[in-house]
Amino acid sequence: MSDFLATVVVGLGTYVFRAVFIVVLAKRRIPEVVLVALKYVGPAVLGALIVALLTDPEGNVQIGVPEVSAFVAGGFVAHRTRSHIWTLFAGMVVYWVVRALV
Amino acid sequence: MSVDRAAARQGVIDALPLFVPAIPFALVIGLAITESGMNPFVGWSGAWLIFGGAAQLTLVTLLGTGVAVAAAVGTALVVNARHLMYSAALAPTFQSQPRWFRWLGPYLLIDQLFALTTVRAPDEDPDSFRSYYLAAGATFWALWLTVVAFGLLLGPVVPEGWNLEFAIPILFIGLLVLGIEHWPEMVAALAGAGVTYLAAGLPNRTGLLVGAFFGMIAGFAAERLRRE
Repeated sequence: MSDFLATVVVGLGTYVFRAVFIVVLAKRRIPEVVLVALKYVGPAVLGALIVALLTDPEGNVQIGVPEVSAFVAGGFVAHRTRSHIWTLFAGMVVYWVVRALV
Repeated sequence: MSVDRAAARQGVIDALPLFVPAIPFALVIGLAITESGMNPFVGWSGAWLIFGGAAQLTLVTLLGTGVAVAAAVGTALVVNARHLMYSAALAPTFQSQPRWFRWLGPYLLIDQLFALTTVRAPDEDPDSFRSYYLAAGATFWALWLTVVAFGLLLGPVVPEGWNLEFAIPILFIGLLVLGIEHWPEMVAALAGAGVTYLAAGLPNRTGLLVGAFFGMIAGFAAERLRRE
């Protein structure tokens, strides 16, 4: 049940983000400082999330050679192809291969 | 007020190629729902309740790893905060639209739809804009709900030993790389990752929020340096 509630809250919040200027604040402008800060929310959260996903329940970050190799390969392919499909493919293949080798 | 059929048809045609990159994303969300152990229907409901891949994937994976619910919700919302910018950018175009569309339109406003509609002429006929927007948005919506469901069916079939949950951080790496245009964004990402690493031992995984916060500050500071 709390999973469902959490999903509803995120859904409502997302709708408010998307609607607030279109529905109510059309004549207002976002302050420059907020716009600049918003630009860095995405990269900062993604960087934090990647580490959080590799953290075990005891608070230890589980990152080894296979993970780092896969990130480097995935990042490189994402940069070159701009494609999620190829990024995923390259990252997972490198992860499996390196894991089998080390 | 009427439907512009040509604009609607164009909306569907433009939406299809943009949906292709979202397919692996939807599949990974389906797998993540299976992995997290949450009720599959509740997990799938996120596809239409949130209708945003990165936030849904964040929420599902964090709930599955035993993060405090408030921290999971907070992080997922922060991930979607960029939609404030989309809302502000499209607000002038929506001024000439009927009230029902000003309420309904934002629900569909995902990254891809923003990319498609923000490049259209600002003085476009309101009926054409609305027809295009709704047709493209409905196309994304229907495909998204279908592919997430498909990922849920696929989840239990994939062998455990493949460690397919590792696809999630790889997808985030991809999103990150595609989002970096200047070095301050790189600074934000590295600071976010580094501080989260140092704060990994904090209770309820609040290190994630601490890391994200410091990452944002670092990016902001780097931008100031770049401008000077």
